[in-house]
Amino acid sequence: MAFSSMTLPKMLTTHYRSFSVSTVVTALQKLTRVRVVDNSSLGNSPYHRSPRVIHVYTKNGVGKVGDTVLLAIKGQKKKALIVGHKMPGSRMSPRFDSNNVVLIEENGNPTGTRIKAPIPTHLRKLEGDYSKLLAIAQRFV
Amino acid sequence: MAACTQRTGALARLIQNVQFHHERMFSVFSLRLQAAGSGDKPPTFTPPSKPVILDKSKPEEAARRFVSPEFIPPRQRTAPLKFFLERKDMIQRRRVLNIPEFYVGSVLSVTTSDPHASNNTNRFVGICIQRSGKGLGATFILRNIIDGQGVEICYELYNPRMKHIEVLKLEKRLDDNLMYLRDALPEYSTFAFDVKPVHLSPTQEVPVNEMKVRMKPRPWSKRWERPKFNIKGIRFDLCLTPEQMEHAQKWAEPWRQYDMLKEYDTSTLEEKIYQEVQAELRK
Amino acid sequence: MAVWTCRLLRLSDALVYRATAILPRTGAGTSPLGSVLVHCVRTAKTSTWWDEHLTADNVEFLKRDVAEDYSRLTAAKLNPLKDEPWPRHEWEEQSRRVGLVAVKLGMMPMWTKSGDRHVVTMLQVQDCHVIKHMPKDEYDGRSAALVVGAKNVSPFYRSVEYLEKFQNAGVPPKQKLTTFRVTENAVIKPGTPLYAAHFRPGQYVDITAKTIGKGFQGVMKRWGFKGQPATHGQTKTHRRPGSLGPGGDPAKVFKGKKMPGRMGNVYDTAFGLKVWRVNTKNNILYVNGSVPGHRNCLVKVRDTVLPRHLEKNKNPPFPTYFADGDEELPEDLYTEDMFQFGEPLPE
Repeated sequence: MAFSSMTLPKMLTTHYRSFSVSTVVTALQKLTRVRVVDNSSLGNSPYHRSPRVIHVYTKNGVGKVGDTVLLAIKGQKKKALIVGHKMPGSRMSPRFDSNNVVLIEENGNPTGTRIKAPIPTHLRKLEGDYSKLLAIAQRFV
Repeated sequence: MAACTQRTGALARLIQNVQFHHERMFSVFSLRLQAAGSGDKPPTFTPPSKPVILDKSKPEEAARRFVSPEFIPPRQRTAPLKFFLERKDMIQRRRVLNIPEFYVGSVLSVTTSDPHASNNTNRFVGICIQRSGKGLGATFILRNIIDGQGVEICYELYNPRMKHIEVLKLEKRLDDNLMYLRDALPEYSTFAFDVKPVHLSPTQEVPVNEMKVRMKPRPWSKRWERPKFNIKGIRFDLCLTPEQMEHAQKWAEPWRQYDMLKEYDTSTLEEKIYQEVQAELRK
Repeated sequence: MAVWTCRLLRLSDALVYRATAILPRTGAGTSPLGSVLVHCVRTAKTSTWWDEHLTADNVEFLKRDVAEDYSRLTAAKLNPLKDEPWPRHEWEEQSRRVGLVAVKLGMMPMWTKSGDRHVVTMLQVQDCHVIKHMPKDEYDGRSAALVVGAKNVSPFYRSVEYLEKFQNAGVPPKQKLTTFRVTENAVIKPGTPLYAAHFRPGQYVDITAKTIGKGFQGVMKRWGFKGQPATHGQTKTHRRPGSLGPGGDPAKVFKGKKMPGRMGNVYDTAFGLKVWRVNTKNNILYVNGSVPGHRNCLVKVRDTVLPRHLEKNKNPPFPTYFADGDEELPEDLYTEDMFQFGEPLPE
């Protein structure tokens, strides 16, 4: 009884492992496994390998909220925007239990039409055009 | 006897003037005071001293006494003046912002002013899983699960962006740090945003929620079964075999409890700070 | 012995007792080797503790007397009518003021009105007095200088020469003495007390102090060398400096090569720190960021020499802030953009 009752709820037992083996303290870097939080079909259809970061478009190779990364997802390359990570940021700003990204096209428009997870409000403060992404967000923290 | 009380009274006044110039010395002094004065506190009121004592014990039963943990200075060789000045600023802030009594395990709702949010305020509800920091840098962490996504926010108590802190449910848990909720099943850290606050009368004892949580399968972010965490609020019997629990005891450090250098008795300090803060807040 | 004659004049009986007691001591000291060593370790100048031959009552009396002496001296310096003050001049562009010696208390956070968080170091100006004025030709021929001291100390463990400096100024002995170069129009009479209000919120200061000593350290900690990898066939080479330079041609190691050695415990200066807040009652300076030195160490605070901040340092209290002046200061001085904890919520 004990172990059967401990199975994870549905939303967490998706197509990849429920825990992250990438280190918590370095935000997103190459080979970090991420969770796609928009409703695009590419990010939500099951695949035997979880999406991974294969490049971070920053100077130091570490991606934080608002940075763009290149993902290897379902055997293809796709750009994505980081909208939350496990590493604690500055105080008074949210820290998430998973590394969340939203898939974007080459021109910066989001692929999906809805974001399922809450989005940090300080994304508005950051430089860069996130207006389309903020427009499809459902909830802010 | 009368002379003795007078002297103790004068000494007490002298100590007040010194204003925590030596906390260690003060604690020794006050101990001696209690021993010498044997209860007679006010020098002029020698006859009604006994009723005063009764009055003192009554309010303790009547209303809870609570000193916010950030008021207690850490044990270090810093001039006590530094903590006194910091306390003064904290009291100043508390006059404007009501910071209620809360503990790790209480459910809070925090409203912050956020220039990037709609109508400039941001409200978050969650369970307090940790309180840390001393003085003006004190922080606490709220945790909640929103739309299936675990979110934690670390708030600074004395940040001017804090607008309103409301305790929705005042209770304690079995542990002083609930970081293991990150590895527990999500139902234990899910809280609705639109709950009515549960009122607890100020005379009542703060209830301890004896709930034990069930965990996700291992690996966890930390090995919570290790003795150094001393976690009581996890159902280890569901996720670990007795052999594994036995194995974790390998890291036990039973000699630590006998380390007298680690002892830090804050009871006298706490009492003094409580009196000071209350006197300042009443002004 | 000579140290104490001046202090013990009123205790003639103690003096006599002491003089007789000295003789057998010196005689005994020569015979066994062990006791000679003990004497060497004790003190270089005299062979006794200051209270070794005093009764407990006399020690008590001396301590009380010194404390009274100190408060009397300090109070006397606050009286402006005592003797003629030195002329005060107006501030000019090239003027260079005296600085302060302060005790580092610790750090605390602070917020601006826009909600940004900064950390500040609290510096307490404790018993800070001008001790000596050195005119141009006496100092180095280029500029005048003022010696400033802070934090009263017991006179019982100081040399006569050291105590003399303070006797001349008429102030209690200090733990720390520092020299400030000043221009001729900024000289202050020795014995003048200095306060935290010497600096004003919004201005910038340089702070000099001895850094925390780290002991003997390797090159990775001391100079930030990279070291060598943990694996890949390293044999006993992980944190070593590596090569010291080219081989046969110079045939030497160049001077100044970064090597392992004692780290810290050297004077260091933090330049251009903003003063956010000044507490005039407790004489506290709240200075932006971190400051060299450990807690409770004495630091030297002066107006910054950085040209980019000269604009902010114009028209300070000159030559210093005088407590008996007409200027009535509130308890706390803040910069305009600093959040004051008592004020209602911003936004």
